Amino acid sequence: MDPILEIKGLSKAFGGLKALIDFALTVHQGELIGIIGPNGAGKTTIFNMITGFIQPDSGDVWFKGEKITQLKPFQIVNLGMSRTFQLVDLFREMTVLENVMVPCFSHRAKNHRHRGKKPWSVAMEFLNQMGLGHRHNELTKNLAFGELRLLDIARAMATEPDILLLDEPFSGLDVEDAAVLSAAIRRMHEKGQTMIIIEHRLRDLLRLVERVVAIVFGEKIAEGTPEEILKEEKVVIAYFGERRE
Amino acid sequence: MANLEDLYGPRVYYKRLFGLLILSVSVLLAPIVVRDPYYLELLFLCHYYVILACSWDLLTGFTGNVNFGHAFFIGGAGFAGALLNLHVGWGPWLTLPIGGLVAALCGLLVGSFTLRLRGPYFAAVTFCFATLLYKWIMIRYEIFGGEEGLPGIDWLMETALGNYYFSGILMLAVISFLYLLSKSSFGLILRSIGENEIASEGSGINTTFYKIVAFMISAFMAGVAGAMYGHAQMHVGPEMAHDSLSALVLIMAVVGGMGSIIGPIMGAYLLTLVNESLRFMGEFRLLIYSSAVVAVILFAPKGLLDIITRGLRRVAGQETT
Repeated sequence: MDPILEIKGLSKAFGGLKALIDFALTVHQGELIGIIGPNGAGKTTIFNMITGFIQPDSGDVWFKGEKITQLKPFQIVNLGMSRTFQLVDLFREMTVLENVMVPCFSHRAKNHRHRGKKPWSVAMEFLNQMGLGHRHNELTKNLAFGELRLLDIARAMATEPDILLLDEPFSGLDVEDAAVLSAAIRRMHEKGQTMIIIEHRLRDLLRLVERVVAIVFGEKIAEGTPEEILKEEKVVIAYFGERRE
Repeated sequence: MANLEDLYGPRVYYKRLFGLLILSVSVLLAPIVVRDPYYLELLFLCHYYVILACSWDLLTGFTGNVNFGHAFFIGGAGFAGALLNLHVGWGPWLTLPIGGLVAALCGLLVGSFTLRLRGPYFAAVTFCFATLLYKWIMIRYEIFGGEEGLPGIDWLMETALGNYYFSGILMLAVISFLYLLSKSSFGLILRSIGENEIASEGSGINTTFYKIVAFMISAFMAGVAGAMYGHAQMHVGPEMAHDSLSALVLIMAVVGGMGSIIGPIMGAYLLTLVNESLRFMGEFRLLIYSSAVVAVILFAPKGLLDIITRGLRRVAGQETT
């Protein structure tokens, strides 16, 4: 089966700092992949380049067989790739429902919407999937942090993407909220949603994903199942340092 | 749970247009009480500034892209309309829409290059375009009449009452259109751009397209108002393209409350009437007027509409969210 996403030779430098060096990844339909690495490893830079927010210095990204490296972010969303943001930054002075209505007016969502279905009822469905339906009329700035994370996912899901990129979705969540989010991600995966998740919280991530990519100082150092990654010496050193005798 | 149809369906428009109905009736019936041509001309000015302030608010108030050169469209269309009237003989029923279209095309040209960019570039370029137009008008005095401008333009309507009703109906049409637009999906998208353009783009919205369209609509309405003003005064002058007019429009929208359409209506009426009522103070008028504006901005930075809305909510016993 052809991959849904192919990344080859992606590199980016910010001045003298090499943020990403020759990154490559192949993703197939239905996969749930995790990207791990310490702070500053280049994880979010990958997402920003895949989704068009930053242009790479070299390399290319193919999505569903089409080269998307030079496309603008909104064009990539309308092709079927959606993302959340590391720093949850929604439309704070708008209601929860309005936050999810905005992507419902994207070109892709309008084409997908069944005739006669109102955008607010479609947005409500996505909110209910994330357990936020009862908060639909609340201003976003009044939401708890865990709810903001769920809302950001609902917003990203509203364009019915073929692939969903989640940037540190567990960051800042307590145990209860993390469990709710894990359940939501599991449900989406069971429905066949392809996802790539960047995460620091290894315990939450490794329970969910099928394959893990580890990045340190902009370079991919390991790729494999969660069990393989945990045993990989370079990953252990990156996270815990050299073993002391 | 509130009915979504009530919150977002067509019924929400019917409720909100009730206020517009009150304003419409007031505009239509006011001349029964106000008969003096001086006051009718003053109210004409109010209508004119409402159109300018509301049209400015559509882009800046909603998307946050600050237009420092609204006078470019007002003066540009005013002079375009005047030249068409004087040299080609077209009357206001043609010069007004054409003036608006010329302004909209200028908006497309300016916006296409600058609204793609984030940062102060758009604000700087709009200021520069207005300044360039003003200088050009002053330099090419053989075309534009220099400091004296162009007199002898055909009237808009024969009487002050006619001008009042023409401008009033135009104002009501503009307000209705802009208000309905602001509450539509187009308005929602503009608000999302103003709140967080990156998240809006990340939601699949072509933010540049929407900003350019908003800018063109804003420019068209300012252009129509500029051409209307020229015909009503039977004269156009370089002050219509001066940056002080851009600043005045901005102040009216800010004082009233940006991003609401209703706020600029309040700001335009209030500042026009206050400015006129202070005329008896002579040279102190500008000092008092400016001090009052600064005081409002300091103590009510979100504008008077915000103060009134919060006050009404407090009286009604609702939580302020």
